[in-house]
Amino acid sequence: MTVVIGFEGSANKIGVGIVRDGEVLSNPRRTYITPPGQGFLPSETAKHHRSVILTVVREALDEAELSPADIDCVAYTKGPGMGAPLVTVALVARTLAQLWGKPLLGVNHCIGHIEMGRLITQANNPTVLYVSGGNTQVVAFSERRYRIFGETIDIAVGNCLDRFARVIKISNDPSPGYNIEQMAKKGTEYVELPYTVKGMDVSFSGVLSYIEEAAHKMLSSGQCTAEDLCFSLQETLFSMLVEITERAMAHCGSQEVLIVGGVGCNLRLQEMMGIMCKERGAKLFATDERFCIDNGAMIAQAGWEMFRSGYVTELPDSWITQR
Amino acid sequence: MSLKSISANMLKKKKKMAEDVSGNNHAQQMLGFNLDVPFPSEREASIALNSLSPDREPRKGGITKELVAVGNVLSVRWTADEARVLRVSVGSFLDHLALVLETMEAFGPPIS
Repeated sequence: MTVVIGFEGSANKIGVGIVRDGEVLSNPRRTYITPPGQGFLPSETAKHHRSVILTVVREALDEAELSPADIDCVAYTKGPGMGAPLVTVALVARTLAQLWGKPLLGVNHCIGHIEMGRLITQANNPTVLYVSGGNTQVVAFSERRYRIFGETIDIAVGNCLDRFARVIKISNDPSPGYNIEQMAKKGTEYVELPYTVKGMDVSFSGVLSYIEEAAHKMLSSGQCTAEDLCFSLQETLFSMLVEITERAMAHCGSQEVLIVGGVGCNLRLQEMMGIMCKERGAKLFATDERFCIDNGAMIAQAGWEMFRSGYVTELPDSWITQR
Repeated sequence: MSLKSISANMLKKKKKMAEDVSGNNHAQQMLGFNLDVPFPSEREASIALNSLSPDREPRKGGITKELVAVGNVLSVRWTADEARVLRVSVGSFLDHLALVLETMEAFGPPIS
């Protein structure tokens, strides 16, 4: 029996989760939400995490009905992510690992998402679309490693959505992407936007620039509503994601798709991916917001896999990395 | 007084303070800051050291920071070219140190 506690805080969510042999015992989380029109900056985010992390640790232990003595190892996000928040979380993980006399495991954030997706959905060997505010990658496991088959060449799709939300001052509570999704449901006019798939890869900064300008022009002249823009943006961005996922599936001969990451919560994206999968006779796997959105349990799960394979992270090597 | 002369004065004052503290900065023209943090035990000072030393300074050049645990005291020595850079590094470190101390207080003492 192996019990792992996992710490995640690479962006504006701070989560601590406890996993015992594939069972999630607790997974509390807090989100740093900024006012409409504002994004989250590293130093303020780190400050938020610092102020709540110990409370969340206590919650995780209480919910799981465990004491520190029951924990076998301490996993934390080594990277990638924002520097200051990553350091905050790593400090607590390192200190607890030493106080409790347990080994430390530095986990890759992206692999955390994938491993949790695999655990929850039981997908066998899927082509993974990892989409969030910080990442957009198409990943598959090949020759003993996760490999990137396609990715964004500039910003993540979630970043594009979040920054558009700022322009039209959509609330960041619970997340800008969620609110865009709700507004998109009420959109009726399709506004044509640049479609920028680049082979196996995809680009979003051009679409963002275009829609930021279009928003100013078209909303003030009344040509369309904010809901129409939300709808059009989702349709365009998600079509691009479906295309590069399909291309990777064709290369790998894969019959399964797994969507992970915060943007994976989006039901329209799941619907569009589902249509493509159906056409190919493939199966689609997705998780709900508990595990799509950054959380501690996913880090614990990836840590559990690492620990079982004999990996640990020595303290001098436990530095965090933004990339 | 102009803004430029005010900040030039502050820089001179900080330099003087730093020189008073560590004495031998005249030749290098660098600023310095020293911090000694006592812990309840040698073990806890060592834990703090291991938690606070792995991460690299975000800024590539213009600042050095050395951490060492001597007995139950954690000693930190900074040198920097600019006051602003020194201030940011020391400020961040103190926030990180506070977090480590809070963690130890909430979940310590270390198991034997």
